Amino acid sequence: MSYARMKFYCDEERCIECNGCSVACAEAHELPVGISRRKVVTLNDGIEGKEFSVSVACMHCTDAPCEQVCPVDCFYIREDGIVLHDKEICIGCGYCLYACPFGAPQFPKDGAFGTRGVMDKCTMCAGGPEETNSAKERELYGQDRIAEGKVPACAAMCSTKALIVGDEQEVSKIYRKRVMSRGKGVQSAPYGWSTAYGN
Amino acid sequence: MKKILMLCLGFFGLYAREIAGKVPLVSKDMAPHSGGDLLVSSQMIDNILHYQTWGELFVYLQVHWFRLLFFGITVGVLVVFLLHYLIIGPKKFAHSGKGIFVYSIFKRVVHWAAALAFVLVIPTGFMMIFGKELGGGDLVLTARYVHSIGTVLFIVSFIPMFLMWLIPMLPSFDDIKWFLMLGGYLTKKKVVVPAGQFNAGQKMWFWVAMLGGIVMIGSGAMMYFQDFHLSILDRFGLDQIDLIRVAAITHNFLGMAVAALFITHLYMSLFAIKGSLDSMIDGYKSEDEVRYMHSSFYKKLKKEDKI
Ligand code: HEM
Ligand code: SF4
Ligand code: SF4
Repeated sequence: MSYARMKFYCDEERCIECNGCSVACAEAHELPVGISRRKVVTLNDGIEGKEFSVSVACMHCTDAPCEQVCPVDCFYIREDGIVLHDKEICIGCGYCLYACPFGAPQFPKDGAFGTRGVMDKCTMCAGGPEETNSAKERELYGQDRIAEGKVPACAAMCSTKALIVGDEQEVSKIYRKRVMSRGKGVQSAPYGWSTAYGN
Repeated sequence: MKKILMLCLGFFGLYAREIAGKVPLVSKDMAPHSGGDLLVSSQMIDNILHYQTWGELFVYLQVHWFRLLFFGITVGVLVVFLLHYLIIGPKKFAHSGKGIFVYSIFKRVVHWAAALAFVLVIPTGFMMIFGKELGGGDLVLTARYVHSIGTVLFIVSFIPMFLMWLIPMLPSFDDIKWFLMLGGYLTKKKVVVPAGQFNAGQKMWFWVAMLGGIVMIGSGAMMYFQDFHLSILDRFGLDQIDLIRVAAITHNFLGMAVAALFITHLYMSLFAIKGSLDSMIDGYKSEDEVRYMHSSFYKKLKKEDKI
């Protein structure tokens, strides 16, 4: 059986910094206050012609650095490339954050006496190691939309379709079409892809 | 070769960045830095926070070196002491008589507070490093919490210990001679060892525990608090996440030294010199031991007519 290779792509020419993705994510997974698995960043703020925004979350990297450094080995990478971790094994050490090129891992202060607890990050709406769609999976990791054949909440909600997610072949096709129709610039890989996926 | 190069690159990364000029990138809260003449391009976001410098170095070290070095150094130190014990054996001194009063109750309390702190901190540190082997989860998570509690205790005992032993721990000429004969530990014979109240080995432990201790506290605190803001960082063009990466690297390397010397300290006080533990319990040290192992101190006490 061959699997899709799931990837995110955010088109910085389309993103209008509405934060819809970030809100959709927080709502879908009932994230605690202060945790945003997805964030929208604006760069070169206020500089005409140079300003742009992109939506950033876990990119679900190939050979994910977070997985490599984890001292308790709590990550697992699905056949479709989605990088997930087991919160019952995680010790909240923070190493994955230091290893991540995208600042994706986050640490809610829900540990003993309000200290830093275990890690939380974007699951590409694929839940976690618990039984699919169980109450426990939902409680710990949020919705498992992939299992239901749904698009992740962020991309589903994106009004300009700047943020898209899916099999790499399909995403690349859309990306190439967009670059071509704009008719400008050198064709490089979508934002973040070289770091996340190696080229 | 490539790896050595990467390592060097990492260490000189900061310096290199000074030369290359400052590039305003995004910081922890994802807001871009202000100022600078270079603009961020969409291609550069995957460099978020200079990932190529400190991020990659951290991944490289954590994946290939930290665990291996901790394991190697610990086993190495244990093997050396086991061999020492079997081949040369412990030193025994006559414990007749009253002994010499060396540690006041205050000093003993401070010492044992620091000792307890290290006993909490060092094994839990190892538990986190080898968390995989322990299966992670609540056990190792608890170890992480205990590591922080031990640190608090260490902070409390730190200042009194530093002040009470600062003067006798300052280097002296005896230390060179002590190192040349490795403290007399390589012979079965009872030899007169040049040392004041503390020998060069003890001083080494003191300074690693104290100066190293401060750095361990500092780097540990950065990892603990994670979300802090130091405005001074902007001045150095260092992002907060990079500072934590540097802290994690430092904490690991220095941790190896502290752990190795801690094991050494345990071996010396519990096994290598029979009965030396007594001085930290009742405050009295055998006169015979002081005469040989701390000869300069002994002569000084003699001159002052204290024995
Ligand atoms: C269970 C752990 C420990 C034991 C059994 C132990 C035992 C001893 C003993 C017996 C002495 C007196 C040595 C002598 O003067 O003959 C001593 C001294 C000392 N201890 Fe510890 N100690 C322990 C932990 C620590 C820790 C964690 C620190 C660090 C803060 C520490 C720092 C020192 C220093 C600086 C001295 C004076 C120099 C020396 O004798 O090495 N000790 N310890
Ligand atoms: S983006 Fe970060 S958290 Fe996600 S897979 Fe890559 S390294 Fe891991
Ligand atoms: S915080 Fe959790 S997931 Fe991240 S490296 Fe540490 S143990 Fe692994």
